[in-house]
Amino acid sequence: MKPWVGQALAPYVLISPFMVLFLVFGLFPIGFSFFLMFHMWDPVQGLGTMKFVGLDNLLFALEEPLVWTSLGNTLWLALAAGLPQHLVAIPLAFLINERLGRWRNAAMGAYFLPYITSTVAIAMMFSSMLSTDYGIINAALDGLARWPLLQGLLPSEHIDWMGSPETIKPVIAFVVFWRYLGFNVILYVAAMQSIPRELYEAARMDGARHWQQFFFITLPQLKPMMFFGVTLTVIGGLQLFEEPFILTGGKGGAEYAAMTTAMYMYRTAFEFNDFGLASAISWLLFVVIMVLTLATNWLFKSKQG
Amino acid sequence: MSTTMKDNAATLGPAGWFFLLLGALVMLGPFYLMFVFATHARTEIISMPPPLWFGEEFLANLRILMDKIPFWLNLGWSLYVGLLSTALTLLFCSMAGCAFALYEFRFKKTLFTLVMGTMLVPSFLGMIPSFLIMDALGWIDQPRALYLPGAAPAMGIFMMRQYIESAIPKELIEAARMDNCSELRIYTSVVAPLLGPAFGTLGLIAFIGSWNNFIGPLVVMRTVEMYTFPLALRSVQSPVDTQWGALMAGSAIAVIPLLILFVFSSKRLIEGLTAGAVRG
Amino acid sequence: MNRVCLFLLALLVSTQALAQRVTLTVAAYPAVDDIVKSALAEWKKNHPNVDVKVIGREYADHHTAMTTALATSSGLPDVMAIEYGYLGRFALGGGLQDLDRAPYLAGQSAAKLTPFALAQGRSGGAGLSAMPTDIGPGAMFYRQDLMSKAQVTEAELTGSWDSFIGSGQKLKKSTGALLVAHARDIKDIVIRSGIPAGQGIYFDDQGKSVIDSAERFRKGFELARRVRAEGLDAKVNAWSNEWGESLKRGQVGVQMMGAWLGGHLQNWLAPNTSGLWRSAALPERVNTSWGGTFYAIPNKAQHKELAWDLIRHLTLNRKQQEQAFEKFNAFPALLEAQNGAFFDQPVAFLGGQKARISWRQSAVQISPTRVFKNDALAEEIVNAELDLVLTKGKSVDQALKDAHKAVQRRASRS
Repeated sequence: MKPWVGQALAPYVLISPFMVLFLVFGLFPIGFSFFLMFHMWDPVQGLGTMKFVGLDNLLFALEEPLVWTSLGNTLWLALAAGLPQHLVAIPLAFLINERLGRWRNAAMGAYFLPYITSTVAIAMMFSSMLSTDYGIINAALDGLARWPLLQGLLPSEHIDWMGSPETIKPVIAFVVFWRYLGFNVILYVAAMQSIPRELYEAARMDGARHWQQFFFITLPQLKPMMFFGVTLTVIGGLQLFEEPFILTGGKGGAEYAAMTTAMYMYRTAFEFNDFGLASAISWLLFVVIMVLTLATNWLFKSKQG
Repeated sequence: MSTTMKDNAATLGPAGWFFLLLGALVMLGPFYLMFVFATHARTEIISMPPPLWFGEEFLANLRILMDKIPFWLNLGWSLYVGLLSTALTLLFCSMAGCAFALYEFRFKKTLFTLVMGTMLVPSFLGMIPSFLIMDALGWIDQPRALYLPGAAPAMGIFMMRQYIESAIPKELIEAARMDNCSELRIYTSVVAPLLGPAFGTLGLIAFIGSWNNFIGPLVVMRTVEMYTFPLALRSVQSPVDTQWGALMAGSAIAVIPLLILFVFSSKRLIEGLTAGAVRG
Repeated sequence: MNRVCLFLLALLVSTQALAQRVTLTVAAYPAVDDIVKSALAEWKKNHPNVDVKVIGREYADHHTAMTTALATSSGLPDVMAIEYGYLGRFALGGGLQDLDRAPYLAGQSAAKLTPFALAQGRSGGAGLSAMPTDIGPGAMFYRQDLMSKAQVTEAELTGSWDSFIGSGQKLKKSTGALLVAHARDIKDIVIRSGIPAGQGIYFDDQGKSVIDSAERFRKGFELARRVRAEGLDAKVNAWSNEWGESLKRGQVGVQMMGAWLGGHLQNWLAPNTSGLWRSAALPERVNTSWGGTFYAIPNKAQHKELAWDLIRHLTLNRKQQEQAFEKFNAFPALLEAQNGAFFDQPVAFLGGQKARISWRQSAVQISPTRVFKNDALAEEIVNAELDLVLTKGKSVDQALKDAHKAVQRRASRS
């Protein structure tokens, strides 16, 4: 009896829900935004008032110093927040998965909490903790500074974490790292769950130590999930908006040190009401993200033997 | 000779425990503060140092919150939309991921690039065109406008593809085919049951994404009775006059279903798979 | 026969009633949404067949949603609350009804409203785009106890900017308290003073930036720089936790803001400091306003006349305006409401001072400024340059030049 969906047809059937949704809800917004890039549009004036300006928006964006500043900020933040996320998540996931037994769920839960905390609460907590004169962090540093050994290393005045351009970037990178570490831990634990136990047993019988098992069994098996996780981090990092937005009150911090491209795009659209320029900026960002995603792709694929 | 997991359980040295605990504390700190703030009055919160232990204003804060928004209704909508969104996401993403992982077909590369491409486009420029579509479809103020459009997120398809590629051996599929299994049967009886951890992970992420989403509801929902919870919470925020205690109380409550879901799905995640079923 | 008639009559009446059931939509943000809700009990007495739906959203969310609605001409409310900061953009967009025209004829009530507020509603150049409902006349709140300890008189605080800064030095020396929360606050006030009629804060009547030419910018930047250089500001941003704390602890001696700040201080910002504050005029008799709420009717609204009726109730009904002030701190734009008994009462929080009278006097002296589409952008750029002057020691001249260039560049696009 021949099945009515053969091997040739099956993949198309399986993909069809995605295709339908994409064609209806995905294509139009993308097309609209592309179309908008070549027009000057103040949304408040209504749909009919779009004015064709050709490449004006793109050229303006390329010459606008703030666009380049924001791109630089974005790349820095993506790297500073993204790299630790994975470097810490993988060994952590290994520890949690292999060594924690019944505490596993509790540990994963603790690391997962930041991901589900509301951004309003996060903004409040961190600005409270990092307050220049009253915050817990500076208070702790004060306490540490009384130890003779550390006195030379620590600054004598309270650090203005949220207010000075040099510190706001690391602060945001830390908050992003804090927020998404648990997410990556969960991903990696799930992936580690699917590594066949026989591999470990065989290795153990051959006398392999824990760290050797980690490097020669766990890591290689994690490649597909690593590729996924890193790609997400690259894309998410380059589109970083929420954390810098809430931590700087939507303004981008002193000297725009925390203004990411996505944030600048949002402000151009909704605060300065220039949708055409905002579209142009977003497509510029798209190009950057695409290039880096292809690079990630190349990196992982070329390593697969 | 078999070795059990118990061998490894308590072998985390003191240094390991120290870092794990330190990490957990750092993760937990702000979260804990949110619950503490939920139990204090506004004045106490906007002061330094902030209160570090629970206060007595939780019920008062709740009353303020309930005065301002149809609390239970909003919570209910968030749950409804979240559950539907998650169910659909799991279904659609596993289907599509299966297609990309297990089959070769024309346009495979192009289509997958398309999938990836959709991840790269930032969402707020899409607000106005999305609104136009919803309006044209007559879906304004309807929950389906919230759970349908994002029901096959590229991220989920990508994740499923990676997971299926790494966790489902081709031999199993071949064996099923030789048994004259139809392709769709392969999906439902062979692939899907093995997706435990992936379903757990994606389900969790999808639900949280849906729960915390406020841009979608902001554009589509017109009546306060139809708001999802995050949107309702935001609506009590004023530039100068926010009821911080009530807001924190609401945020704390908003997190509880997510916690419950996490506990539930992490069991699925951990006890998911024994890969031994695959061999032989 | 009688029963049939009765039945038909009942049917007629009920269908009439059903047919007349109307839903009016009002979109607002906190606390305007609460103000509208509190007015409904009274208003509905005259409109029993109208259901009013109030859609409350967070401040920025509300304006984003309104931007979306105006962009697509869909989803517009019948009554739209707009805050002053967004009024320019929305009014210039041409999507709001001109309330000067029939059937609204708001001009007939023009004399009842605080002049500058009405003028702000007209500043979009498309007639009266929105009715003012509340305003924020500026006041200087200062800690009387700290000032007397430092032997600073109110006259010194308000006489001139120079004497204001001098007071700051005295204050710091004797009490350790700082003069203002942020040096930028001073710049904000100075650049809003002495604006020629027909011009905006940042642009002249031709829409060209005046940042490098108008004297008030140089003065504002210089004063801010001086205040920072002499260590007289606390470097805290308004509405942050630290700001609240510094007000509670008396580490800041002066806060200049809208008169509505008094209510907030009393209710939750610094209730522990009751009786210690006083209100005074701004230095050099500057009269300016902070914020303000307006109600508009979109062109595509469905129930325009009903909407106008509700707006009239909210803005021209004396009891309603008084109630909004008493309960929600919304300073009435209606002149009548400013003459109520409430205004003559001594304010306990301000040590029994009859502050509301001085606020009222200040309100009528405020002169309107024209709004421009790029105002938000200009403010942003100017603040960024000021930051560089304050923290990196950039020269005021160079900062103003750069700000001017950047603003011109963007402004010339439209």
